[in-house]
This record gives sequence, structure tokens and C-alpha cells, in this order.
Amino acid sequence: MKKSRKLMALAALAGSVALWFSLSESTRRYIVHLGKQVPYLPYRYFI
Amino acid sequence: MVSDYQVVVIGAGLGGVASAALLAKNGFKTLLLEQSDTVGGCCSTFENQGYRFDTGATMVMIREPLEAIFRRLGKEMGDFLKLIPCDPIYAVRAFDGTRFAVPADLDQASEMIASIAPEESNGWKEFARAGRELALRLGEIIGTPANSVSEVLRMQLRSPETFRYLLLSLRSAQGLTLRYLRNPVLQSIVAFQSYFAGAPPELGLGPSCFLVLSEHQGVYYPRGGMISVPASILKAAEEFNLEVALERKVERILLEGGRARGVLLEDGTEIIADIVVSNVNAKVTYLKMIGPENLPRWAVKAISSYQLAMAYPMVYLGLDAEPPLEAHHLISTASMERSNQVWNEYYKLGLIPPGDNWMLSWPTESDPSLAPEGHHILSFAWRGPAPYAPLGENWDRLRESLGDGAIRVLEREVMPDIRKHIEVVEVSTPLDFERRLLCPQGAVYGLFFDLFSAAMFRPHPRSRVVRNLYLAGASTCLGGGVPTALASGIIASDYIIRDYG
Ligand SMILES: Cc1cc2nc3c(=O)[nH]c(=O)nc-3n(C[C@H](O)[C@H](O)[C@H](O)COP(=O)(O)OP(=O)(O)OC[C@H]3O[C@@H](n4cnc5c(N)ncnc54)[C@H](O)[C@@H]3O)c2cc1C
Repeated sequence: MKKSRKLMALAALAGSVALWFSLSESTRRYIVHLGKQVPYLPYRYFI
Repeated sequence: MVSDYQVVVIGAGLGGVASAALLAKNGFKTLLLEQSDTVGGCCSTFENQGYRFDTGATMVMIREPLEAIFRRLGKEMGDFLKLIPCDPIYAVRAFDGTRFAVPADLDQASEMIASIAPEESNGWKEFARAGRELALRLGEIIGTPANSVSEVLRMQLRSPETFRYLLLSLRSAQGLTLRYLRNPVLQSIVAFQSYFAGAPPELGLGPSCFLVLSEHQGVYYPRGGMISVPASILKAAEEFNLEVALERKVERILLEGGRARGVLLEDGTEIIADIVVSNVNAKVTYLKMIGPENLPRWAVKAISSYQLAMAYPMVYLGLDAEPPLEAHHLISTASMERSNQVWNEYYKLGLIPPGDNWMLSWPTESDPSLAPEGHHILSFAWRGPAPYAPLGENWDRLRESLGDGAIRVLEREVMPDIRKHIEVVEVSTPLDFERRLLCPQGAVYGLFFDLFSAAMFRPHPRSRVVRNLYLAGASTCLGGGVPTALASGIIASDYIIRDYG
């Protein structure tokens, strides 16, 4: 059970990495650009 | 100490003028304070040797907020302001040498596009279908407050189809463009629009690519220059409780028990008022005029997290001859990839990008009275992003080469003998914008504009940190631009009327 969960997590990680590298450079920059702002959104909402 | 006002508005930019006029009309005794010697901020006009140059904005599109202001003032817009339609809306010099002029009529424009990019006619039709409704409703959307979850929900309930626009906003302007358009020239025009909204195509808010369609609702030039927009609003509000004071710089917003209670001017005068509206950049409002010491830590974190918008250097030319142009506006577009590259490989590193993205305005085509008879004005705006602090350089040293660079482009692209005809050259660098309008780093669009710094993630027009403080202008709501700044003034005044009226 534990092993299959580990395998699934690994597969998910590998899938995400593959998906990330299948994106265009522009899309990756877009996601990073937005991602960097996420921690500030709750503060921004209340200002 | 002066304590005779209910409302003090700081800054006579479009947001400040709109909110001051509407509040005065609604019976609030209002004082509008402006640090410079004229009104309008980025949407203004100045004179040099008989030529009347526009400081920044060069056109009016999406008229609804402007019309709404006059309607609410109970006045007929046509009695105060004459908007001259620009048709063709602009001529294009694309990066690959393609040249064409875009007619105001969307069907005619679609035919023209089919002739320059026959393989694209289906894609363009799809693009126009997807964006036309949004383009048609942009005026209404801009004017609807969307500054909180409840306001966004209310907007969705009132017009459920706006949910589609929310979904479109998850994509970048580039992502949305590529979904429909393959032709690099058409893509380049859309990419240009993205910078118009203040961001490179790969980072810009998806629906901003449809600005290219909303222009077909009409692009206008106000008779008398861009200053006619704020000046006409103030004229229409003259009979109400509004006082305008020029050359009065506000240093601080006065606070008492977490509430704004007035302002302190540079000359030491204190003006006490129940309500303060700031039309100044939100970062300056919170971090300089209020001060981090008076704000909770989370609020300092929030306001510090915003990136300032980029600057747009301008070169203004007075000519003793008519330029051979086919439209009031001429745009030169770089390819979509190039538009991103100048952001990533120049702007972000503090380098001045090569000027492939630029816009030329010819205001005397619409209103010859702006220059002496037979003379003309050209305003050249570098639309590529300009870093505030160019690496190893200084804008004061670069001023001359900026002017010369624009003239060289015009020699090559528009008028080979232009130098012979130039009577006046004026240059506005990002530093000049900062000095004249006090907009930090020359950021004339306030704060950078993208998905996470728009609407409810942009500083709220009714401050949630300082009571009795309201904000208007490019730092709020849907960002910079003539219609959005005007709409922000309407929205701020609506909150005040609801809270105190
Ligand atoms: C080069 C350029 C081209 C543009 N082109 C277009 C265009 O074609 N179409 C379009 O829609 N938009 C355009 N824009 C954008 C548009 O002009 C602006 O986004 C809009 O006018 C901003 O309005 P605002 O309400 O934010 O006020 P601002 O224009 O930022 O004005 C703020 C005012 O506050 C005053 N102020 C600042 N600090 C103080 C203080 N301490 N005390 C008192 N007063 C103070 C300033 O002097 C200024 O008058 C352009 C802008 C520029 C610069």
C-alpha cells in the first residue's frame, strides 16, 4: 500500500515535470510571473 | 489651518477630476488640489512656441465613462466637449514591411485583413466573434465595480455571460491571441495592444487582446487637445460646490485614530476634511503620504508587493509643413516574440530596447488649431518598455539622443526631409514625467497590470486600511488609460455617496 502510494506520487511528479517542459517558454514565464504573486494575494485583496 | 471642506481630492488627473466633479454635483463641498500648474495629469496639453502638445494620452476610446460623467452632472457632453472621430483608426507599419490602414468600420477592417492575410480570414472571424461582445460591453464592464468577491458575484448575477470573460482572464494576452491568429502581422498588432494596457503579450491580461476590436467602437480626438477632457468636466461642474487649487502640493495625509482627516500641504498649510480622495499613485499614497509607520504590517507588505507600471518616453515635434501620413495615428509593430524579448532581455535588465514598437500621433490632422496656420504637430511615443534607471546611463544624459532617435525613425519611415521642417523639439523622459507629475519612476499607468493586480487585487478605491480615504486613478480598478481612469473616479465617488450621501 505504502509502496504503491510512493509510486503514484513519483508518477505524478514525473507527469508534472513532463507537463512543465512541454509548455512553451512564454507560458512558463506567465505561470512563474503569476506564481510569484500568489503569496501576496490575500494581502492585496484587503488593501 | 483650513477646515471648510467635506472632501479633499489630491491630484487633478482624470480619476481626481471625475470624482471631484461628481462629488460636488452630489452636494459635497469639494476641494481639488493639484501640484502642477494645470489639470489632467497624463491627459493634458502644454504649449511651446505656439504649438499645443499633448503630455501623454493621445486619443479617447471607449466613450461610456466620459458620457456617464456628463450624464450624472446633468449636462449634455456635446455642449462642453467635441470628440472628433479618427478614421482610419490607425495606419500600421508592421515589422515585415507590410503597410496598411485600419478602417473604423469592423466589417471593412475584416475585409482588409482578409486581403492582407487571406489564410487568416477564418481565424480573424473567430477572434472577432469571441471578442466582439466583450469589446461592445467594455465600457459597461469598466464602469462596474469589481473590487471584491461580492461585487464580482453581483456582476455575474446581473449578466451571467461575463463569467466567460473571467475565464478568458486566466489566459495571457498572447495565449488568447495564439488561439485564434496565426498570421504574425495580425499577432503583432495585438501584441502592440498588450503594451497599450501596460504589459508584454506573454504577461498581459487575456482580454486586453480584444482592445483591438473595441477600437472599432470609435477612436476620438478631443477638439482643443487632450486637456479638453478634464477641462470640460470641470467646466460642466463649475456651478457646483467645487474649488480647484493649482500649484498646491500635498505632502501628507493627516490621520486621527486610523481615519483620514485632511491633508498637509508642502507650504505647511493643513486642510481638514471629512473625506480624502487620492488620485496619486497608490504606492505613494500609502508609503509616503500616510507612511508605513501608520499602517499595519500586512498592508505595507501588500502595497510593497506591487510592481510599478512601465514608463513611456515621448518626443513632441512642431513642424512648419504637413507630414505625409494617411491617418491620425501610425503604429509600428514588432513581432509578438520580439515584443516579449524586449521585455525579458532589455527592460528587465535595465537596457533600453531598440525602438521597434512606437506610435506616432498627428493631432493637427484632427484639430489644425493646435498649431500656427499651416504648421503641424507630431507626438512620438516609444511603446516598447523604457526602464526607469537605464544601466550605466541617466535619462537626463539620454534626452538628446532620445529625441534624435525618434527623428531618425521618422526620417526613415515617414518624412525623409523632416529635419528641415522641425521648429520645436521637446522630449519627456521617464524622469521628466516623474518630476512634472510626481508619478514614481514615470509610471504613468500606476501599477503594473495583470491578472493578479487587477480589479479586486488592485488597491481598493475605498481604502480598507484607512477609514475615510478613497483612491481613484490608474492604480485602482482596471488600471491606466483614459476610460479606466475616468471610470475609477466614478466608482470612488459612488462609494463615497453610498457611505456618506
Ligand atoms: C505617454 C503616454 C501616452 C498615453 N496614451 C494613452 C492613450 O492614447 N489612451 C489612453 O486611454 N491612455 C493613454 N495613456 C494613459 C492615461 O493618460 C493615464 O493612464 C491616465 O490619464 C491616468 O489618470 P490618473 O487619474 O491615474 O491620473 P494621473 O494622470 O496620474 O494624474 C495624477 C495627478 O496628480 C497630481 N499629483 C501627484 N502628486 C501630487 C501631490 N503630492 N499633490 C497634488 N497633486 C499631485 C499630478 O500632478 C497629476 O496631475 C497614456 C499615458 C502616457 C503618459
